[in-house]
Amino acid sequence: MITFALHGIGVSGGIAIGRAQLISHATLEVAHYTVPSSRVDQEIARLDFAVDEVQKELTTLHGTMMREGELPGEFGAFLDVHWMILNDPTLAEAPKRIIAEQRCNAEWALVQQMNVLIDQFDQIEDAYLRERKNDVVQVVERVLKRLMGKPGSLPTAVAEERTILVAHDLSPADVIQFKTHHFAAFLTDLGGVTSHTAIVARSLSVPAVVATHNARQMIRDGEMLIVDGSSHVVIVNPDRAVLAEYRLKQSEFELARQKLKRLRGKPAETLDGQRVVLNTNIELPGDLAQVLDSGANGVGLFRSEFLFLNRHGLPTEDEQFEAYRAVAAGLAGKPVTIRTFDLGADKHKEDLEGLARVAPNPALGLRAVRFCLAEPRLFLTQLRAILRASHYGKVRILIPMLSSVAEIDQTLAMIEQAKESLREQGEPFDEKVPVGGMIEIPAAVLAMGGFLDRLDFLSIGTNDLIQYTLAVDRSDEAVSHLYDPLHPAIIKLLALAIGGANKAKVPIAVCGEMAGEVAMTRLLLGLGLRDYSMHPAHVPTVKQRVLSSDVAAIKPLVERIKRTDSPEKMAALIDKLNA
Amino acid sequence: MQIREIRLRNTQGLHARVAARVVKVAGRFKSRIVLTVGERRASARSIMAVMMLAAAMGATVRLEIEGPDELAALEAVAAVLASPGERR
Repeated sequence: MITFALHGIGVSGGIAIGRAQLISHATLEVAHYTVPSSRVDQEIARLDFAVDEVQKELTTLHGTMMREGELPGEFGAFLDVHWMILNDPTLAEAPKRIIAEQRCNAEWALVQQMNVLIDQFDQIEDAYLRERKNDVVQVVERVLKRLMGKPGSLPTAVAEERTILVAHDLSPADVIQFKTHHFAAFLTDLGGVTSHTAIVARSLSVPAVVATHNARQMIRDGEMLIVDGSSHVVIVNPDRAVLAEYRLKQSEFELARQKLKRLRGKPAETLDGQRVVLNTNIELPGDLAQVLDSGANGVGLFRSEFLFLNRHGLPTEDEQFEAYRAVAAGLAGKPVTIRTFDLGADKHKEDLEGLARVAPNPALGLRAVRFCLAEPRLFLTQLRAILRASHYGKVRILIPMLSSVAEIDQTLAMIEQAKESLREQGEPFDEKVPVGGMIEIPAAVLAMGGFLDRLDFLSIGTNDLIQYTLAVDRSDEAVSHLYDPLHPAIIKLLALAIGGANKAKVPIAVCGEMAGEVAMTRLLLGLGLRDYSMHPAHVPTVKQRVLSSDVAAIKPLVERIKRTDSPEKMAALIDKLNA
Repeated sequence: MQIREIRLRNTQGLHARVAARVVKVAGRFKSRIVLTVGERRASARSIMAVMMLAAAMGATVRLEIEGPDELAALEAVAAVLASPGERR
């Protein structure tokens, strides 16, 4: 056996050692035979049946995904696209004509039609759309596997041996099925940092190397593999020396991970005894398990927009109540901060029915609380649902995108109206449910007095605060390089907001991306922050940083950071702070 | 018959997710819905055909709708095509 290495892109770190399991490439194994004319109808029925079965598979997967809610919403969108491709006349009907005309088997007809479609896609100039041919291939693969009597689902990893999955490419449907399998690592010929394989590997904390070009051809079933996701390399048939070296590396990596895990039950406290609250941001009720596993104090930001996913029309009060209650009760006494809809009138067009309109500048238009105040029926429905859920746990209400005292007063009046209607109906709720506001518009920081007087707590949304302060849309590639969390103006605004709230003894948190970034942990501590809310995956690393920080010692450095207006000096000071 | 020309505002043009939404919305109506970009024509019933239109950002899509509910269909499909895409 020859030892050799393959290079790709490591999209999920860590080291795995195990046996290769190849995923068959159905399109390469298709047989071609003619069928007697008496059996043409039967062949067509066979195709219909296979398509039906795959359709059911995709629907079931979609359901599982929504229930577990562990994968990003875009997977649902991709499943939708696959479902539509499957039902497209060019795929659902054309092969039947080929069967009838050529009197060939269903598999062959399907592959022929797939090749016709691929040719058409290849002529598209736009690179992104040209790559959609992969979606067609993935859908056809699924139908072929059905036709050939192979289950569409993946083989289960053998329990006693670590198994490494080697495939040409993985479809979103494959990826969702991984949740229930236990592969040690993933290898694919295609893919990139944002491919389905990458996203799922990271969410499972399993190493993955993609874009290996020909791993699927070079590796044979059962061969010993080392996958090093951190160094982007795969070693096939390693000798004993290499194997020993990597086992050592692997155990070091595991040790570091275990160390982080052990921090789980430990309270986040600085070296000089300052207690810090570490909360989580979640998007779906299904994220709850991850929250409890992370050792976080609770949920600092529960985004409610998921209620608009994969549905038409507005979510009802009961539907919302059930979702909020599930989280409030599931946290067993830990607090949850539910943010009211952060929707724009420009998006969710279909769902918002008649409420949608075109905004010339959506980021500055009718969105979040502005939209809710303009649509009181929608807002009241949500407020009632949240209030009802407050009876089942520790619930707080968070209002996004407040810019003026008038909006706060209107919102508080709406909450009072919702409470009154519940009292009349005798519905139980927490009378003292705290109401807080997001600080994400510079105006809110500069005129914070009115916020401090009226609200029970504040939460800084750094992503939008940076966008609005620097006038930079991070998703616009032409200007995204100007997006700078360490811009002196941002530091000054953060200092002002955190300092002001602390002085007024109003609790303040940071729930933007900055809170989960370990390079920012000390800076925020030094600015006076004691409440962070982040993706559950970041809790252990941020906690580790808190545990190793001494607030009194970093204070002088942070004072200098607050005063500096030079980007170079800023970078140097931050480095020093994190040293 | 209803005809309208719409400029795509989505930065990724008529990409897979928008195409899926067009097909989904079109499916709710009885009318015949045809999209045209340059020489290419596509039925709004077929995601493959819509994706193959390969319309880039800023391209103009011509909508032709004929049938009992053509007015409502026009507004609904036009709204999807004119949307600027997902805000992050």
